Amino acid sequence: MKWIISIVSAFVLFACATTKQASVEVPGEDPRHTVAPDRNTSSAVISLLEKARDATTQGDYERAEVLLERTVRIEPRNASLWHYLAKLRLHQSHYNDAIGLAQKSNNLARSNNHLKADNWRIIAHSKYQLGDVSGAQAAQMKAKNLGSQ
Amino acid sequence: MARRPTRKRNPKKKVSRRVNKTRKPKRPGKSARKSDNPVLKFLRRIPWRRLFLGGSLILIVYTVYLDFVVRGQFEDKRWALPAQVYARPLELYEGLSLKADNFERELNLLNYRYAYNPTEAGMFQRHGNVFYIVTRPFTFWDVKESSQTIEVAFSGGQISAIKNRRNKKELALLRLDPVLIGGIYPLKKEDRKLVSLNDVPELLPEILVAVEDRKFYDHYGVDPIAIARAFLANIRAGKSVQGGSTITQQLVKNFFLTNERSLWRKFNEIIMAVLLDWHYEKDDILQAYINEIYLGQDGARAIHGFGLASQYYFGKPIQQLNLNQLTSLVALIRGPSYYHPDKHADRLLARRNRILEGLLEQKVISADLLARTKGLPINVLKKRQTTSRRHPAFLDLVKRQLREFYPESKLSSDGLRIFTTMNPIVQLDVEQKVKERVARLAKQRGLGNKLQSAVVIANSTSAEVIAMVGDHNPRFAGFNRALDASRPIGSLIKPVVYLSALEKSDQYNWTTRIEDKSISLKAKDGSIWTPMNYDRKSHGSVTLITAMTKSYNQATVRLGLDIGFPAINATYRKLGGPKDLPPYPAILLGAQNLTPFEVTQIYQTLAASGFRSPLRSIREVLDVDDQPLRRYPIQVKQSINSDLVNVINSGLIQVTKQGTARSLLSRLPADLHVAGKTGTTNDTRDSWFAGFTGSHVGVVWLGTDDNLSTGLTGSSGALQLWGDIFSQINTTGLALEQSDGIDIEWVDPGTGLLSKAACGNSVQLAFIHGTAPTERGECLDSGSGIQERFDRTVEWIKRIFR
Repeated sequence: MKWIISIVSAFVLFACATTKQASVEVPGEDPRHTVAPDRNTSSAVISLLEKARDATTQGDYERAEVLLERTVRIEPRNASLWHYLAKLRLHQSHYNDAIGLAQKSNNLARSNNHLKADNWRIIAHSKYQLGDVSGAQAAQMKAKNLGSQ
Repeated sequence: MARRPTRKRNPKKKVSRRVNKTRKPKRPGKSARKSDNPVLKFLRRIPWRRLFLGGSLILIVYTVYLDFVVRGQFEDKRWALPAQVYARPLELYEGLSLKADNFERELNLLNYRYAYNPTEAGMFQRHGNVFYIVTRPFTFWDVKESSQTIEVAFSGGQISAIKNRRNKKELALLRLDPVLIGGIYPLKKEDRKLVSLNDVPELLPEILVAVEDRKFYDHYGVDPIAIARAFLANIRAGKSVQGGSTITQQLVKNFFLTNERSLWRKFNEIIMAVLLDWHYEKDDILQAYINEIYLGQDGARAIHGFGLASQYYFGKPIQQLNLNQLTSLVALIRGPSYYHPDKHADRLLARRNRILEGLLEQKVISADLLARTKGLPINVLKKRQTTSRRHPAFLDLVKRQLREFYPESKLSSDGLRIFTTMNPIVQLDVEQKVKERVARLAKQRGLGNKLQSAVVIANSTSAEVIAMVGDHNPRFAGFNRALDASRPIGSLIKPVVYLSALEKSDQYNWTTRIEDKSISLKAKDGSIWTPMNYDRKSHGSVTLITAMTKSYNQATVRLGLDIGFPAINATYRKLGGPKDLPPYPAILLGAQNLTPFEVTQIYQTLAASGFRSPLRSIREVLDVDDQPLRRYPIQVKQSINSDLVNVINSGLIQVTKQGTARSLLSRLPADLHVAGKTGTTNDTRDSWFAGFTGSHVGVVWLGTDDNLSTGLTGSSGALQLWGDIFSQINTTGLALEQSDGIDIEWVDPGTGLLSKAACGNSVQLAFIHGTAPTERGECLDSGSGIQERFDRTVEWIKRIFR
């Protein structure tokens, strides 16, 4: 039961971020993409994710960032958490940071192709914003290929 | 006797924070000017009185000047508030790997007091593996943590449960307040914690007025009767025994004047006190007094004001002090060293009791309360939080990283709250191990106190520095070798060379054979450079893995020359090398000078699978009102291919299993895989070890400041200290990551052929996908492995006895 609540809450958190983010017009972005926390995420981390969700809802991204950083200190090998941080940095227009964090998430994502595709989307967004159009397109292709797998 | 010890005070204090709400000042000097005109006319006729007129004018001008000074200073009165520096807060959650004893150490560092029945914030009790704690409230950047009454249970080196003690509900996560590890002080090391009059217990102003200045609310800044009384008493005694200063005068003395005892100073003091009283509310003056007064000395740090004194002596905020504690602090005003709570506890107790009796006389307290309080001991903290001399190397790093954004003056005066990455338990353990190991090695080698050391420990993923030592005496704030001792890194450079080779995966893998034979090269200055191996032998054709784990110099130089400097320099810079490497052959054996901190940055990138993050010591900075000021976010940058880093790491693990660092095997738990590299420079002048686990990276350097030969190799020196530290701290093993980009194989490092775990000295190594050797070793097929031999024996026995 707790799990369902957690996943739903995390969905809300990042759905919110994604919807806004979708207003940045980048070809191929699908606002419905969200990543639920990994199944093995501890309740300590879930409690922080919930607070981070509240902070994002209130528009307090810096607070959300502090909370998310606490999660990666507790579970540094949890790929979803790095993904959330990447998404937040993207939302704050820190594109280089967002790319690094998304790559980190990919590095830990193992066979989670859904997560990897979403990370590539973040990279595509960021590269596009940084003016690297061909890099953005290549990243978008990777996202697409992973998504269809 | 001096009324209170005053110290030299610079009237132009660094200003930072406004504390007093002041009403608008009245126009100055009006009353003085008013009486002038009629007198002036009268005086004009009498020439000798012109002198008097001149004198009066000077006096008036001087008073106006003093008025200007007093108002200017008091209204802008901002105390220089040193920045407060905190360790990382401990986050508690089920499953956290933490020893109960280390948890108790943390509570002790936080000055939590052991109590049979913890009722107040900052108290705890331990029953074997269960702790009952009342946590302190604390404001962080993200969340204001409130005080909670909790129960924390440990089992098997982990937290097994955290519950709210009242309703027994499980807590997912709990963050303790952080340990205060130091402050950043101005040259004059005044420290204080500002409080407003509304925040202090109501009793405090009452006690202060009753003890220091009974007529405070009635007089005009000075109390002529008190002065006369003091004057008579002093004449009678033949020396100065009484002060007669009002609270206002004491404040003036502290604010504006020096400790000089002269009539002129007294004159100034009286005028300024009257002016201060004229312009400002009594309560503003009292509040300033409460924050200004000097109440003790902690090394070089001066404890000012009741807010800080309360924390310093009793470990509690001023709001929580009782009558006993408040009167004890008031008793200190007369002379914090004369009434020192440790050295002269009897004097302090006697003075407190005199004050208590005085309070009864003035009906501030009841006879009953007096009787109850008089018998109580003054329990000041035994181990007070002294912050002035702790962890100088780490604080040095924090200051340097802060200075990129804040000028020194702001750091020492704005009361910033700095949240750092230090793990205080690891820091203390590292300090202890450095002291022990350096003393032992220095004794063995007859180096006296010349053997020096520096250590940096960081989290590998977040690149947060958790401990740092820059001297063999970790409390000594001198040359910080961790940041400033730039020394040749020796073989610590080799992973950079081998990584550059492995990057050319079509040419090199771990089993590629290279020549370890003597080589002579022309050095930059035209001389001939002939590198030798440590054992003075050449080993002929060896595999890459053998050359690296055994740290063969001749093979490495040949390999490096083959790859070329540009490729090696590119790898070096990607890993975080601070500057380009100069292109000469000795660089291949680590002629480059780097500080331990710079080496840590390079190895952090390896430890984090190629994700480089700048080493950080600060997480967040809040201002004096707990408002967010600046964050130092976690930043990661994929600077080098992860698969490639995993390949080199698989080799660095072998260094600690079969190579120059194999002595670690017997020192660390069997399941704790670590990777690393030893480094020794010419004539054993520098002894290095840089290594990492799955969660931490650590670099140790040993040597002397004047470049003596220590007789210590990387293995016999730095590695030993590294082992001391890593067998003590809580860390996780390094696992070889499986990924699509690499193949993990068992090979024989001697032949370079495929092998298996059961075969003699085979090792597990990573290869870039598709580049692993395909040739099968004899052991693999002949089944000469121990398991196979055993199986065959069993089969044979079965057959015989069928």
